[in-house]
Amino acid sequence: MLSVFYIIANFKVPQEIGTSPQSMLLLLPLVAAISVVYKATKLPEITAKEFLKESALLFGSIVVFIAVTALILCAVAWLIMS
Amino acid sequence: MGFRSEQNRIVFVLVVGLMSWLIPGGGYFLLRENRRGTIILVTIALTFAVGAYIGSIGVVDPVGAKLWYLAQILSSPAVAAVGHLTAGGGYPVYGRPAEVGQIYTSIAGLLNLLCIINAAYLAYAGKPSPETD
Repeated sequence: MLSVFYIIANFKVPQEIGTSPQSMLLLLPLVAAISVVYKATKLPEITAKEFLKESALLFGSIVVFIAVTALILCAVAWLIMS
Repeated sequence: MGFRSEQNRIVFVLVVGLMSWLIPGGGYFLLRENRRGTIILVTIALTFAVGAYIGSIGVVDPVGAKLWYLAQILSSPAVAAVGHLTAGGGYPVYGRPAEVGQIYTSIAGLLNLLCIINAAYLAYAGKPSPETD
């Protein structure tokens, strides 16, 4: 019971998030949520296998697209700075 | 689903849309699409909860962050109750956690808007909207 109150109390104060590159990993749960909800609305029939496959595919596509965009931006920044 | 008149169909579509807003995925439960509804309910509730946990419930701010609040309230009218609680500015919210929290909670609301529109379409047309990706 005490742990429930502890969890609820944690909703009243912000958590510590640094500005390290690792903090970018927080985008992964969000991308997963977007993939799951999008596929839940679009698939004509929801079966576990098909749903997981399609969601994972969309998740991967979004992550790859973000990574490629980040690389391009890094390259552009490097070209401007050098 | 058979409707006696076009008026009945429109009322049904509106009820499904409203239910989808009241409870994320609620419209799908009305349409007996229980799996779809459960997945959406759990995912949207979790996304909102994670955002509120990271940034504190202070990220729901109807006074200082009106545009974010507009997106957040699309999750459920229950967000208005949280907004009423936090409107006085009594909950600390700052920096990176505030940004991440606002993004998570707002995306949860926008995802629910997608579900509201999709459930209403499903209620009207009787089949999911075509995939475009």
